[in-house]
Amino acid sequence: MARPIRLCWFLVLVLAALGAVGLVAPPPAEAQKKILNIAAKEPDTLDPHSSTLGQSQAISRFMFRGLTRFAIKDGKVTTAEVEPDLAESWSLSPEGTIWTLKLRKGVQFHKGYGELTAEDVKFSFERQINKAPGTRYGVNLDVIKSIEVVNPHTLQIALKAFDPIFLLRMVGYQNGYIISKKAVEKLGDQFKWNPVGTGPFYFERHSPREKIVLKAFDKFYGGRPQVDEVHWFDVPEDATKLIGLEKGTFDLLYPEAVTADFADQVQKMGAVIDRRGPGGQERFYINMTKPPFDDIRVRKAFMHAIDRKAIKETMYPGGLARVATSCLPDGYFGHIPMEFPPYNPELAKKLLAEAGHPNGFTIKNYFISKSFFYPKVLTLAQEQLRKVGIVVELQVVEHATFHENIRKNLDPFVLYGGTRITDADPWLSLFFDSKEIPDPATGNKGTNFAHYRGIDDLLTTGRVERDVKKRAAIYHEAQKRIQKDLVCLPISDVPGQWARNPKRVSTPFDPEYGEFSLHYSYNYPELLKVLN
Amino acid sequence: MLQYISRRLLVAIPMLLGAMSIVFFAMRVLPGDPCVAMMGDQATTGALADCNKNLGLNRPLAVQYVDYLWRSLRLDFGNSFRQGYPVSDYIGRMFPHTFILVMASAVVAALVGIPIGIISALKRRNPLVDYPLRIIALLGLSMPVFWLGILLLIVFSLRLDLFPLIGGGDLDGVLAMISSGEVFSQPRDFLAAVADVLHHLTLPALALGFTLAATVSRLSRSAMLEVISQDYIRTARAKGQRERLVVYKHALRNMMVPLLTIIGIFVAIALTGTVLTETVFTRPGLGKMLVDAIGARDYPLAQGAITVFTMTIIVVNLVVDMLYAVVDPRITYR
Repeated sequence: MARPIRLCWFLVLVLAALGAVGLVAPPPAEAQKKILNIAAKEPDTLDPHSSTLGQSQAISRFMFRGLTRFAIKDGKVTTAEVEPDLAESWSLSPEGTIWTLKLRKGVQFHKGYGELTAEDVKFSFERQINKAPGTRYGVNLDVIKSIEVVNPHTLQIALKAFDPIFLLRMVGYQNGYIISKKAVEKLGDQFKWNPVGTGPFYFERHSPREKIVLKAFDKFYGGRPQVDEVHWFDVPEDATKLIGLEKGTFDLLYPEAVTADFADQVQKMGAVIDRRGPGGQERFYINMTKPPFDDIRVRKAFMHAIDRKAIKETMYPGGLARVATSCLPDGYFGHIPMEFPPYNPELAKKLLAEAGHPNGFTIKNYFISKSFFYPKVLTLAQEQLRKVGIVVELQVVEHATFHENIRKNLDPFVLYGGTRITDADPWLSLFFDSKEIPDPATGNKGTNFAHYRGIDDLLTTGRVERDVKKRAAIYHEAQKRIQKDLVCLPISDVPGQWARNPKRVSTPFDPEYGEFSLHYSYNYPELLKVLN
Repeated sequence: MLQYISRRLLVAIPMLLGAMSIVFFAMRVLPGDPCVAMMGDQATTGALADCNKNLGLNRPLAVQYVDYLWRSLRLDFGNSFRQGYPVSDYIGRMFPHTFILVMASAVVAALVGIPIGIISALKRRNPLVDYPLRIIALLGLSMPVFWLGILLLIVFSLRLDLFPLIGGGDLDGVLAMISSGEVFSQPRDFLAAVADVLHHLTLPALALGFTLAATVSRLSRSAMLEVISQDYIRTARAKGQRERLVVYKHALRNMMVPLLTIIGIFVAIALTGTVLTETVFTRPGLGKMLVDAIGARDYPLAQGAITVFTMTIIVVNLVVDMLYAVVDPRITYR
């Protein structure tokens, strides 16, 4: 037995020696730098016009800015109002189709690419409108007819028709980001990993599958950020992220999913969760053309069978989310809270019997994504539906397969989530406009999974209405119709959530909904401060 | 021998071609469109058509297939759909990380698994030795690498702060110093960089190595049992040779051939094990990259990674076959 013991000692010594390598302190200069360490997934590109992934959009906000930004009101960032950012001021022609925008002077691009001019703005929008390979958001700029450069700091944007949310489209988010024309022309395809913007941090380097390093931009027009460097680590596992937060390896975490367990662990280690509305909404669309859901009584029975509060509490206990009150989420222009059929399984059974299904029915081959919240929410709903006799036979598939199959109308009801620019028009248009009904025969891969045609007229009217109050009333009416026709059941409004070590990083905004934002949780990354 | 190697390499070509063809068609048979996977709920009909055109997916399948084979012949696997990097560059950066992880875990698995297997076989009639060792082997078999990985991270990284939590160390720097010759001009820097890589490698190699050691110990136990039941072992003992000599001189040497077979199998198992290990330890590498690529329907990246995996397994098996002749003089290749 002496040999195994000797072997054990040898292994311990080797481990100790290897461990000792890690005890070497970093050089002084490195130690004094204020480095913000973020654990998230790796972005798929750093071209802000190209990616739909949350992590890509979150990192974009560190490097890019738009003509407008979400305003700070009473110490909170709101998505309901915008204020000037790269644009200094603007005016709208009397007929409502020509915007004249004056740019802030002296704004510099990173890496010596010179001053921001109207040419850069024109280029940033036109590359998307002309669908340059890889760009994804041209559709959000379809309202633009032409862009004319008046002088280096003034441009006129002519619209095809009045657009009530034009200034919201100009927000630094997705299609709204302004990039350097010179850099794109010089770098070509390499721009996606050599981005050049006007944001508070510039891109330094990318080690694939390891990290991205950003550095503070001295010439940022809002002043140099306090943070010297941002190290964006590719950490796919939430468990590893939590260990890193506790150990001090990371200061900010962008988790895949914030569960009760995750929140508990964050709290136990003295960290906080920054909750940012409106976040994403999880909801069911019911295909009103697919039997037996073409009968409104069955749709009503479905809604009575679903205990939304129980699902929300199981998935996101306490403050982790809110029970959703409309299929147009809270935080979007036009939202009003609505009532939905309350949880009542007995009534659900009665309605099913009335509709000719006294013993319920079975849905075979119901496809659900294995990723994100989908399998958990659907499993909870499956159990609730089973109690009223609706048996759902699940097939858990890859996320890509799920997306493919729901666009082939293979699921009679669809669980879906998402975030959009915070106005009723783009949101309702995407999910309830009849043009978006998916149809494998025509190749339409839209997202109107309810196959609803009931608010087309309101959407058309809303798009040309210039009176804010009247616009709001139009979308209130749209929500009432959706509610009456029982085609959509919202479950949870889940805020964007990041975990933060408050002893290491501070933000001026309250952790509890101190900011409203889109895919990124920090509208103003330049205001983040690294503490000792 | 040269003739044998040439013949084996020739046989490897259709094998490789077969694997490449299977992965090419399997990726396309899998439900899920790469553009839908990339764009998610932003995937409008027009955007999808543009995306398919940009990625060349609107071309007939046969054209895509021939193009893929022709490019692969020149070691050009195209560009990643998602990130746009050339796949060969990507693999070039990831492969060394996976390679050293497999090698290091092989060392751990061999150091732990082989002695356990041998002792367990030799002391099979002593339950005080055999049973605990078999229980250890069983634990290793049933212990998922991600669980052991997280456990090691919590103990050695979080609590004791001996090892880094994430990353693979500056392996690129080490390789650059070797290729530029700085290894000789700046040996201290080189050694520091190597130490950093080993520092990052230790916990992942232990996690993967321990879980694989269980398989190795069971295989070496059965190999040893087979060898010690042979007539020549009984003869050696009957001649009065000491047990230690019987084991070292006769049993161990004859166990080498089945052990080599184990190594061949081991590489394939270890390569699959890298997927979880690289994920838990947040190491760059091919395994994690492959799984992500399949999930994202990133055809070029998945095809490139599987081609490299296949080539690695072919080469390792070839080397193992050649080593048979080295360890067993009775085996010759013509």
